[in-house]
Amino acid sequence: MIKKRLEKWVETGSRSRILVYACVLGLIGLAFMVWSLFDQGWIPVMMAMSVGQVIGTLSLALFILVIVIDLQRATFRPSIPPEPPKPEDD
Amino acid sequence: MHASPLSWIAFGSALIAAAILVHYLVWRPKLTAQVKVTLIMGLGVLPIMTALIGNMEGLAATEHHAFCGSCHTMDRHLEDANDPDSISLAAIHSRNNKFGDKSCYVCHKDYGMFGYALTKIGGMGHVYYFLTEFMWMDMDEALPKIHIARPFKNENCMQCHTTTGFLWNGVVDHAGLLDDLRAGETSCVSAGCHGYAHPFSKPDEETPSEAEARATEELWKPEET
Repeated sequence: MIKKRLEKWVETGSRSRILVYACVLGLIGLAFMVWSLFDQGWIPVMMAMSVGQVIGTLSLALFILVIVIDLQRATFRPSIPPEPPKPEDD
Repeated sequence: MHASPLSWIAFGSALIAAAILVHYLVWRPKLTAQVKVTLIMGLGVLPIMTALIGNMEGLAATEHHAFCGSCHTMDRHLEDANDPDSISLAAIHSRNNKFGDKSCYVCHKDYGMFGYALTKIGGMGHVYYFLTEFMWMDMDEALPKIHIARPFKNENCMQCHTTTGFLWNGVVDHAGLLDDLRAGETSCVSAGCHGYAHPFSKPDEETPSEAEARATEELWKPEET
């Protein structure tokens, strides 16, 4: 069930919409990480190492998903055209 | 505010990554190979660099006084450790440059093979207890309930006080209890010996009198030249 829904989402999902989610999540993750650099109390440090990194990983995973969707939709053509058949010697 | 050079590198990486992401969100360029490579930097390489440096800096920060004292339940422990007039073991050790602002960590950390990881796991226990029990208590309510998870190990004292020195063995009580102390059967920080490291947290229990403690401190003061 979940696999089918995921497959359908991958097939129909808009790459730009997924990338918007990825970028927004990336910005939120970065905010958590930067917070811990300048305020080293237990809340910012713990949040950066847990919530911040989970959100950051999720944003990267969404980007990788876009690449996978791209690869699935791509049509691969051989880069070198086949050589024309040589004329047969009589 | 603490910011080492590494922190600034992480901050710079985060700033560039954020600029890339905001640029994409505002302009929405066509997803060409070049845009993808730029997004790999903004979503992968630069945030990973920020996270790695953030982890290093964050773990280093957990060794400092300020981190331990960032829970309100540790306010009095921190105040006492920083008090130049206090004669508690915690304060005496905090005045020592070898401990300095890492005295909580240096005394309480696990010195075994997996000590660093075990100390951090122990720290997660503190977070759990703080969030589930102590967070909404005021200091007076929390103080009687705060206790060390396991009895303080003499091994930790023995990282510096090796029990082999001439001066140390010159103290009659040390020499008499040598085997017990090394085996951890008699605690260095028991009431009958050096007293509790944080005596204010145990008002009802026996601790060395101030006069006794000051006399001990005087004994170990370096001679003036």
